[in-house]
Amino acid sequence: MDMKKGRGRFIFFCLAPAVLLFAIFLLIPTIDVFRMSLYKWGGYTDNKTFVGLQNFNRLFHSDKFYQTFQNSVLLIVLVTIVTFALALLFASMLTREKLKGQNVLRVIFYIPNILSVVVISAIFSAIYDPNSGLLNSLLKLFRGLQAEPVLWLGDQKMVIFSLAGAMIWQAIGYYMVMYMASMANIPESLYESAGLEGAGRMAQFFQITIPLIWTNIRTTLTFFIISTINMSFLFVMTMTSGGPDGATEVFLSYMYKEAYTNSSYGYGMAIGVIVFLFSFALAGILNAVTRREHLEF
Amino acid sequence: MKKILSLAITAALTLSLAACGSSSENGSNSTKDSTGTNSATSTEQRTLKLAALETAYGADVWKEITAAFESANPGVKVETTIDKNIEDVIGPGMKSGEFPDVIHLATGQPKGLTETFVKDNNLTDLSDVLSMTIPGESVTVKDKLIPGFTDTTITNPYNDGKTYLMPMFYSPTGLFYNEGLFEQKGWKVPTTWDEMWALGDQAKAEGISLFAYPTSGYFDSFFYALLNEVGSADFFTKVTHYNEGIWQTPEAQQTVELIGKLATYTEKTVPANANKDNFTKNQQLILDNKALFMPNGTWVVGEMSKAPRAEGFKWGFTALPAIKDGGDRYSYTFFEQIWIPAKAENADLAKQFIAYLYSDEAAAIFAKVGAIQPIKGMSDKLDGDNMLFYSIYDNGAKAAMGAFATTDPVEGVNISDAVFASIDSLVTGAKTQQQWVEGIIKASDALRGALK
Repeated sequence: MDMKKGRGRFIFFCLAPAVLLFAIFLLIPTIDVFRMSLYKWGGYTDNKTFVGLQNFNRLFHSDKFYQTFQNSVLLIVLVTIVTFALALLFASMLTREKLKGQNVLRVIFYIPNILSVVVISAIFSAIYDPNSGLLNSLLKLFRGLQAEPVLWLGDQKMVIFSLAGAMIWQAIGYYMVMYMASMANIPESLYESAGLEGAGRMAQFFQITIPLIWTNIRTTLTFFIISTINMSFLFVMTMTSGGPDGATEVFLSYMYKEAYTNSSYGYGMAIGVIVFLFSFALAGILNAVTRREHLEF
Repeated sequence: MKKILSLAITAALTLSLAACGSSSENGSNSTKDSTGTNSATSTEQRTLKLAALETAYGADVWKEITAAFESANPGVKVETTIDKNIEDVIGPGMKSGEFPDVIHLATGQPKGLTETFVKDNNLTDLSDVLSMTIPGESVTVKDKLIPGFTDTTITNPYNDGKTYLMPMFYSPTGLFYNEGLFEQKGWKVPTTWDEMWALGDQAKAEGISLFAYPTSGYFDSFFYALLNEVGSADFFTKVTHYNEGIWQTPEAQQTVELIGKLATYTEKTVPANANKDNFTKNQQLILDNKALFMPNGTWVVGEMSKAPRAEGFKWGFTALPAIKDGGDRYSYTFFEQIWIPAKAENADLAKQFIAYLYSDEAAAIFAKVGAIQPIKGMSDKLDGDNMLFYSIYDNGAKAAMGAFATTDPVEGVNISDAVFASIDSLVTGAKTQQQWVEGIIKASDALRGALK
C-alpha cells in the first residue's frame, strides 16, 4: 500500500513542474484570448469595454473575414495535398530506389526547411518578378520575347497559387524526412516477398509502404494544418503584405491587421478564437476520418 | 513524517508561486513610487524617456539632439530608444504599463500605434507647448511654426481646439519624374490633366507608361491633394469627415473618373510589386524610364540614392496637374508628429524637450540630415534637390494638409483599405469604378457615427 502511495507522490512531483508550466504559458494565455475576445479594446490602455459576443457578431457579418477564411482554407487544402503527395513520392524514391547522389538529394530537398521564411520570400519574389523573374524568362522561350509578362504576384486570381508554390517548396523537405524515417523501418523482406509474388512498384507502395507508415501520415496531417496556418501568415507578410487589395489576406494576417493597425484588439482576439476552434475541429475531423486498424511489422 | 514532508513541499511550492505573482506587482508599484518621488522632488537628476522611429534621416541625429538638450539642461538625462521597428520595441512594455515620456512616431505606420493612442484618447494635451518660449530664445513655439501645421485633423484630432500631436519634419509630396528624360524627348511637364492624358498616349507609343506608384498607400497624399483640386477645401473636409451623400456629388464623380482613368495609364506590373518588400521595384520604373510619374515624398531621393538609373537621370518634382487650364494645383504636405502618451511620467519635461526641438540649434542639427521642420524661414536655407522640392509652394502650388478624421475604432472597417488599397484592383481590373465607390460609401457609412 505504502509503495503505491510513494509511487503516486513521485509521479505527482515529477509531473507538477510540467503541468504548472503548461498552465502558465499555454492554458492561461489561451483562456485569456477567449476572455479578450469579449471586449472592445485598443490594446495599449485600461480602456476596456465588455461587449459580450458583439465581436463575433460583427465577424460573421464581415465579407472580409469570409474572404480571408476562403484563402486560408484554400491554402490548407492545396499545400497539404501537393506537399503530402510530393513528399511521399520523394521519400519513397530516396528510400526504395538506388539513385546516384541520393545523399546529396536528401540535403537539397531539406535545405528550404532550414532557410528563414524571409529568405524564401526574397527568392520567390525574384522568381516571380514580372520583368526579370526566372519564371517569366522561361515562359518567354515558348511565348516569344514580346509576350505580356505573367503577373504571378499581381494577378488577383493567380497570386494565392503563387504563394502556395513557395509554401510547398519550403515544406516538402521536412515531411519527406519524416516519411523517410518511418519508411526506413519497414523490413526489406516484406518488399522482397511481395516482389517474388509479382507485386509491382506501385502495388508495393500502396499495399506495403502506405499502410505501414499510416500512423506517421496521420500525425503529419495535423502538422500540415497547424503549419500552413502559421506559415501562410509569415509568407503573406513578407511576400505580398496581403495584396493586391487583400487578395492574399489569410485569417492570421487579418487578425494582425485588426488587432494592431485598426486598433481593434478585442476583435482580433475574436478572430484568434475562431482560428483556434477551426484548427482544432479540422484536426479532430482528420483524425477521425483517417482512423483505421493499426498495422505492425 | 512523509505526509508532513510532502505537505511542506507543496506549501513551499504554492508560496513561492504566490510570491512570484506578488513580487512582480510589488515591483511595479515600487517602480511607480520611486519614479513618482523622483518627478516630484528631484531637481538634481531627471530622466526623460524618448522613443523615436529610425527613418531615412538615421538614428545618429537623435543622439546629437539629446546630447545638445542634456548639455543645455544640466541634471537631465535622456534615455533614447531608436529603432526601425519602434512599434514592436515599445509596444510590449506599454502593454504592461511602461510608457515612454515622448514618442516620435507619425500616423500611417504599419501597426498604427499612434492612431491607436489617438482613438483611445490616450494623449497629453500639448496646446500649452505652443505658448512656451523656446529654450535659449525669446520667441514662442507658435510664433516660430509655419501657420496651419497645428490646425489640422492630424494634430487636433478631437475637434476641440486643442493640439495633441506636434508637427515635426515635413515634406511636400507630389509627382516625381525624370527631368532628364523630358529634356531628351522635348516633352513638357503637364500642367492640366488633359495634357497629362495626351502625354500618356505619346509615351505609350514609345513603350513608356504614364504612371506608377510604390504601393497603393502612397495614394493618400495624391488623393487628398486631388480632393482639394476638384472641390476645394470644403469638399476635402466633407469627404474626410464621411459626410452622407458626398460620394453622389459631381465632384466625387470627377475624382473617381480621374483616378479610374489614371489606373488605365498605370504600368501593369505595379500591383505585383506594390508591397512593403518590393515597392522599390516600382520606384525603379521611374529611374529606368519605364514610367513617367509616381506619387512620392522627398525621402524617395535618399531611398533610391544607390539605385542604378538611366543616363542623364535628374529628379524632377511637380504638383498635381490642374483640373482645367489656370486652375489650382495642389501638393500635399506630409509631416511627422511627436507626442506624449497620457500616462507619461515626466510630461512636463517632455514638453520642454518638444519646445527645444523647434530651437535654431535643434533645427540646424536636423537640417544637416535633410529633416526639415515647419519653422518659418527654414526653406530659405536649403540647397540642391531640397531647394527644388520645398520651393514647390513658391512656384504656385497650394498646400493641402490633413487626413481622414479620427473615429472610435470600428471593427472590420478600415477607410485606408477601402479608398487606397482598392486602387490596386482598379489597375488589375478586378474592380470597376462603381464597385470602388460602393466600398468607400460602405466604409464611410460605418465610420460616420463613430466620429470623435
